[in-house]
Amino acid sequence: MMMTRRSALKGVAAAALLGLSGRLALAEDNGGAILRQWYKVVLMLVRHTATYSPPVASRAFAYLGVAAYQAVASGSTSLVSLEGQLNGLKALPPRDPAKRYSDAVITHCVMASAVKTFFGNTGPTGQRVMAAAEKKLKGAALQGLPGDVVEASLAYGETLKAAIIDWSKDDGGAVIENMGFPMAYDVSKEPGHWVPTSAIRQQQVPLLPTWGQNRSFAMPSGASCGLPPPPTYSEDPSSEFYAQAKEVYDVTMRLMPEQVAIARFWSDDPMLSFTPPGHWIAIAHDLLAEKKAGLDETAEVMMRLGVAMADGFIGCWNAKYQYDYVRPVTVIKKLIDAKWEPLLITPPFPEYPSGHSTESGAAAAVLTSIYGDNVAFTDRSHVRDGLGERKFASFTAAADEAGMSRMYGGIHFRPAIEQGLEQGRCIAQFAIALRTRSAA
Amino acid sequence: MRRAALALLMLAAGQAHAADTPVVPAFTEETKTSGIDSVYTGQWQYMVGGGAAAFDCNGDGFEDVLIAGGEMPAAFYVNRSARGGALTFAKQQSGLEFDAMTGAYPIDIDGDGIMDVVVLRVGENIVMKGKGDCQFTRANEDWGFAGGDGWSTAYAATWEKGNQWPTIAIGNYIDRAQELEPWGSCTPNVMQRPKPGAKGFDAPVALTPSYCPLSMLFTDWNNSGTADLRMANDREYYEGGQEQMWQVRPGQPPKLYTKEDGWAYLRIWGMGIAGYDLDGDGYQEYAITSMADNKLQTLKEPPKDGGAAKPTFKDVAWPKGVTAHRPFTGDDLKPSTAWHIDFQDVNNDGLADIFIAKGNVSEMPDFAMKDPNNLLVQARDGTFIEMADKAGVASTETARGGVLTDFNLDGLVDLLVVNRYAPTQLWRNVTPGAGNWIEVKLQQPGGNVNAIGAMVEVKTELGRQAREVVSGGGHVSGQSGWVHFGIGDAKQAEVRVRWPGEDWGKPMTVDANGFAVLDKAKAAAEAWTPNR
Repeated sequence: MMMTRRSALKGVAAAALLGLSGRLALAEDNGGAILRQWYKVVLMLVRHTATYSPPVASRAFAYLGVAAYQAVASGSTSLVSLEGQLNGLKALPPRDPAKRYSDAVITHCVMASAVKTFFGNTGPTGQRVMAAAEKKLKGAALQGLPGDVVEASLAYGETLKAAIIDWSKDDGGAVIENMGFPMAYDVSKEPGHWVPTSAIRQQQVPLLPTWGQNRSFAMPSGASCGLPPPPTYSEDPSSEFYAQAKEVYDVTMRLMPEQVAIARFWSDDPMLSFTPPGHWIAIAHDLLAEKKAGLDETAEVMMRLGVAMADGFIGCWNAKYQYDYVRPVTVIKKLIDAKWEPLLITPPFPEYPSGHSTESGAAAAVLTSIYGDNVAFTDRSHVRDGLGERKFASFTAAADEAGMSRMYGGIHFRPAIEQGLEQGRCIAQFAIALRTRSAA
Repeated sequence: MRRAALALLMLAAGQAHAADTPVVPAFTEETKTSGIDSVYTGQWQYMVGGGAAAFDCNGDGFEDVLIAGGEMPAAFYVNRSARGGALTFAKQQSGLEFDAMTGAYPIDIDGDGIMDVVVLRVGENIVMKGKGDCQFTRANEDWGFAGGDGWSTAYAATWEKGNQWPTIAIGNYIDRAQELEPWGSCTPNVMQRPKPGAKGFDAPVALTPSYCPLSMLFTDWNNSGTADLRMANDREYYEGGQEQMWQVRPGQPPKLYTKEDGWAYLRIWGMGIAGYDLDGDGYQEYAITSMADNKLQTLKEPPKDGGAAKPTFKDVAWPKGVTAHRPFTGDDLKPSTAWHIDFQDVNNDGLADIFIAKGNVSEMPDFAMKDPNNLLVQARDGTFIEMADKAGVASTETARGGVLTDFNLDGLVDLLVVNRYAPTQLWRNVTPGAGNWIEVKLQQPGGNVNAIGAMVEVKTELGRQAREVVSGGGHVSGQSGWVHFGIGDAKQAEVRVRWPGEDWGKPMTVDANGFAVLDKAKAAAEAWTPNR
C-alpha cells in the first residue's frame, strides 16, 4: 500500500514540477498499463520463440524487468537505481537535467526496443506481433505529449536499452544454440545419473548444461544457495533412494482427478505455454492489473520477480549439473514397473532440484515480501488453454502446489521438490534485499 | 498354373535388389530445361503452403502439373515429356491460374472421368470442374461448395460408403486479421458431405475444436473399411490443442477420438502426413513432419487376430532412422523444418523410401537456414539411410510442397519441389541399376471412379507391399495417376485391390516394367502403353 501511495504522490509532484498538462499526467497514469501490455506480448513471445526454455525465459524477464525499472528510476526521486547492486551493472546513462521526459514513454521505448532484441529470433508471426504492439502502445504512450518530451524520452529510452543490452551480452546466456542442447556432451554411464528419457534425437543430451555458471543478477553466484546431496543411488528396496522412487510410483498410480488437474495446471511446458517463470509473471501481471497498479509499482514488482527467478534458474541449474541426478521414469522403469509412464513429459535435463520448485519458491517469496503472506488470488493464466482457473490462499500455497505438481506429474522425487522450494526461498532473499526506495 | 509359374519366376529372380545395402538413387536436375518456371512467393500469409497438384488432364497418361504461386498467380503446365526422355512441360492457360493459392489437390468430384481440382487459397477456396483437354471452370455454385474466406492449408477427401459424391474436409489456419494476438486464433476446419439424393455438396459442418492443421488425410488406419480423418496440427498456433483424428461414419456427425478410445496426446508442429504399410502387417505406418524431430508412427498394439485396433500409435522414427531432425550435410546444424512428405520407391528395390521437403519458415535463425531435403532410402532391415546428397536432391532452397511421381513414364519416380521465393525444382530419376517396376491405375463404376480409399497390395518374392490410394496429405500437394511399385528383380507381380468399403479382390498378375489398368469390373489387369 505504501508503495502505491508513494507512486501516486510522485506522479502528482512530477506533473507539478514540470508544469505539464493534465494529459501528461494521464499518460503517466497509463504507464503501468502500457508496461503490463508489453508483458502480455512478452508472455506470448516466450511461448512462440523456440529458444525460450524456462531458464532462457527467466533471463529475459530479469533484463526486461531491470530495463523497465531503470526507465522509471532514472528520473525518480524515490526509486533507487540498481547500478552497483546487480552483478556487472555499473553506471547507466543518466537523463539530461535540462530536458523534460515522460516515464511512460521511456518505459515503452525501452520495452519495445529490448523485446525486439531478446526476441529477435522469433518467427514471422512474432515479428508481426512485435511491430503491431509497438505501433499500438507507442500511440497510447505518446498521446497528447509535447514534441520535446516525446523526442527526449524516445532518445533516452534507446540509450538506456543499449546500455542494458550491453550489460547482458557477457553473462553467459546471451547465445543459445540448437535450442539449448549442446552439440557434444558426455552422458554419464554411472547408475543414478541422468540419462535421456525420450526418443527425441535432439534431447539425447541435456538442456543448457552450463547455465549454472552464468553470471547471476542479485545473488553472488550460482552456488550461493547450494543444496545437500539427494539420496544415494541404490537398488535396495529398503534404501532411501528406492523409497523415493516407490513414493512417486505409488502416488502416480492412484492419482485423483484433482491431482491430475494440478499436474497439468503447472506443467508449463516450453513452446506450449509461457514456461514456469512466465506463469509467475502472468500471476503478477493479473494481480497488478486488478489493482490498476501504477508504473512504479508495476516496474518494481516485475523487476524483483524477474531477478529472483533468473537467479533461481541459475542456482537450480548449478545444483542440477553438480548432482546430475536420474529422473523417476528411468528408475521406476528399471526397478519397479517397466510399463510405467509419467503423466507429464519428463524434461530433458537432470532431476535434482526441481526447477519449477526453485523458481516458484523464489517467486512466491518475492511476492510475499511485497504484498504479504495472506493475499488470496485466482490464477487464470491457463484459461485459454482449457485448464481452468485455480484459487490460492497465498503465494506460498501456490508455490507449494507447483512443487507437488511435479510429483503428480511423475517427473520429480520429493527431495527435489522440497529442496527446490527451499533453494528458491534462499535465492529470493538477494532480490528482496535490493534497495529500491530512498529513505523518506 | 499361372500362379505357379509366377511363384517360380519369383524364386528364380536374381538377388541384386535383395541386398542389404540399397541401390543409390540418382536424379538429374532439369529445372532450367523443363519449361517450369514457377515461384511460390508472398509475405506472412504465404509462410506456409506452396503446393502442387499432378494429374493427367488430357488423357495421354502423362501427369500435368499445377503449381501454387502464393501472391502471384498459379501456373499450369502440360506435360510434353516423351517416355524415358527429359522432363518437358509447356505453360498453358487452364483456368486454374488463381492468385492467393496455397496448394491444390486433384480429384474427380463428379465422377465423369475427367479430373477436377480443389484449389486452396488465402481467401475463397474454389472447386474447378475439368472440362477436358486441361481446361477447367468454376463449380462452387453448381456443386454447392462453400469456399469460405479462410487461410486454407489442408485438404482431404473420401467417398463414404454408399455415396456417389465425395466428402471433402478443408483445414484452416489462423485468423489472418488478428495482428496482436494471432496465437490461439485457429479458425474452424470444415467438412462438406454430399447432398442427400442429389449431386453436389450439403452445407458444411465445422470440425471443432480446430487446431490449425497443415495436413489432413482420410485413411483407413484400422482396416475397418471406412476412412477416418487424421490431422497434423501446428502447435505454434493452437491453445489447448493436440494432434487429432476424427471418426467419420456414414450418417453420423464426425467424432474425435479421445484418450478413452486410446488416442495418445501428441503436440508437434504438424506439417505433413503420409501413410504406407512399411512392415507388411496390414496396418499403415504414418509419417508426420514437424520442426526438429519428425515422427513415424505405428500402431502400438496391432491386432493379430484381425480384431478392432485401438488408435494408439508409438513413434519409431528414431530406430527406423527417419527423425531427420537437423541437416545431415553442410555447416548449418540447427534443427530442421520439414513440410511435404511422401513414400515412394525411388530405386525400385521393392521397399518404399521417404522424401521430405525442408525449408526455414521465414528467417527463423534458431532453425537451419540451409536445410537440405531428405531422401531416406529404405534398407532391407526396415531402417532408412539418408541418400539425398548422393542422389542429387539435397537442395537447400526453402522447400514447401512437392510431388513424387513418374512424370516421363519410364518406371522411375521423379521429383518436383515447390520452393518459397525460389523456382520450383524438377529432378528426373535416372537411377542406374534400379529394379523392375509396375504402375497401376484403378477404375471402378460409380461416383468414386478412381477408387479413392482403395488399398493396393503387391506381392513378389521380396515380400508384400501395400499402399492406400488417397486424396489428401503431404503438404498442400496431391497427385492422382499411376500408382508405382518397385519390384526388384521380379519379372511379374501379384496384385490385388481392396476396393473402397469392400474386401480384397482376386489377385491379378502384372508384368514387370509396364503399366496396367485395374478395372473392378474386369477379372484381369489390362496393359497400357504410352503413345510417345
